[in-house]
Amino acid sequence: MKYMIAMFGSASEMGATKTPEWINEMIAFMIDIDVRLRASGEMVYNEGLADGSQAKVVRLENGQPVATDGPFAEAKESIIGFWIVDVASEERALEICGEIVQWSEVVELRPVPAGPPVQ
Amino acid sequence: MSSDRAVVDLLRELAPQVVGMLARRHGQWDLAEDAVQEALLAASAQWADAGIPDNPRAWLLAVASRRFIDAVRSDSARRERENTVAALETRGEVSDHDDSLTLLYLCCHPALSQPSQLALTLRAVGGLTTAEIAKAFLVPESTMAQRISRAKQQIRAAGLAFEPPPPAERAERLAVVLQVLYLIFNEGYTPGSRTSASGADLTDEAIRMTRMLRAGLPSNGEVAGLLALMLLTDARRPARELADGMLVPLADQDRSRWVAPLIAEGVELLDATLGACPVGPYQLQAAIAALHDEAATADATDWPQILALYTVLEQVAPGPVVTLNRAVAVAMVDGPRAGLALLGTIAAEPGIAHTHRYDVVRGHLLELAGEPAAAAEAYRAAMRGTASVAERRHLALKVARIAGS
Repeated sequence: MKYMIAMFGSASEMGATKTPEWINEMIAFMIDIDVRLRASGEMVYNEGLADGSQAKVVRLENGQPVATDGPFAEAKESIIGFWIVDVASEERALEICGEIVQWSEVVELRPVPAGPPVQ
Repeated sequence: MSSDRAVVDLLRELAPQVVGMLARRHGQWDLAEDAVQEALLAASAQWADAGIPDNPRAWLLAVASRRFIDAVRSDSARRERENTVAALETRGEVSDHDDSLTLLYLCCHPALSQPSQLALTLRAVGGLTTAEIAKAFLVPESTMAQRISRAKQQIRAAGLAFEPPPPAERAERLAVVLQVLYLIFNEGYTPGSRTSASGADLTDEAIRMTRMLRAGLPSNGEVAGLLALMLLTDARRPARELADGMLVPLADQDRSRWVAPLIAEGVELLDATLGACPVGPYQLQAAIAALHDEAATADATDWPQILALYTVLEQVAPGPVVTLNRAVAVAMVDGPRAGLALLGTIAAEPGIAHTHRYDVVRGHLLELAGEPAAAAEAYRAAMRGTASVAERRHLALKVARIAGS
């Protein structure tokens, strides 16, 4: 079963509120979980994202696409990275989330539904 | 394992030569390039087991010719062109260098978008497979295959033939070639760029292709300058990142880990070029890199000389990024306040003011000037602006250290 694990937070706030030791441990964790998810064959894809302040939102206004600059929400509601994992169960996906949330404000888990049956 | 590596190296070296020979013989360089790609895949499968044939280039040419003719025949819409192919006569003697250069000019044609130029150059000139290029750029193979095939369509649509650019355009076209090679180099050198075991090392590939270019244009100062710049920059690669992916700034790098033979080669190349050729931006940047590489310690860096070179570079190739770098040199020579004053002059430049590079330099100079709170604020602005996770982590540590002190 495929899931998207989305991590929320603000890197620039982290720099101001955490100790260098905490940041070093966080980096070690992020590298380690990458290695483990790849080794177990559960990693499909992952990316870290630029800060939410770099985001643009595009809406249709009077039929024309209009792009607006961020920020749009509280930093802790802004996505900062994501993983797509292919795991045996939701329980396992939640286990991974439980590790990540130690280092993140909020983690969201979302199933990636299987496609329609192949003809 | 080493024989696998030898096969790969040999194939990449021969690829542009065989594309060139086939394109010269039959025209239709894009079909020729497809045929060579198939021949390369066949060769890498067979040579690893059966060993490298006595004349590998003739082997590749024979297999690629076969594939080429099959492709032309199987395409009934191209029947007519087949007749034209048969009627084509081989032009006079042309060296492999000329062929490879013609191919390089074509792949870096200004009609193509930059991602297309990079991808096509790596495949046709670099001899990399589509899968290897896709891995290096972290995109799916189908995406890269589509990008390459669209680039070839654009070349066809523009009616470009397999021939060197006219002499009047050559300098301008060479500038694009140098830019593409430098972009490939930087793509590989960017902090946090992940290289998987089977993906190509773009930094090495860029150096290899620039060496090839230099073999064809041995007296061009900017080609030599670019090669020297790449070698002198690549020399520091082992020291710029820790095992956990943390970045190490130049001043803090363990200089014993720099690659001495690369520095020696870059310096020698530069010494033979500077003064012998018209000076250009790549030679100047290489000269600056050499001064950093030759300093035994960060404190021993010859900043006045670096500042003088940036001042010349600003005249030859003005731009906010050059001014940004010059501000660092000014700070090292005349103090952080002088550097900050120079930064102030480009604060309103639209291309630079809100980039993370500007904020990083500003933070660094504010830190040197004894303004930790303002420095931390500048670093935080840089963290919001950077697209590199590795750089963001590096900056987070800087901010945390300032906050804790």
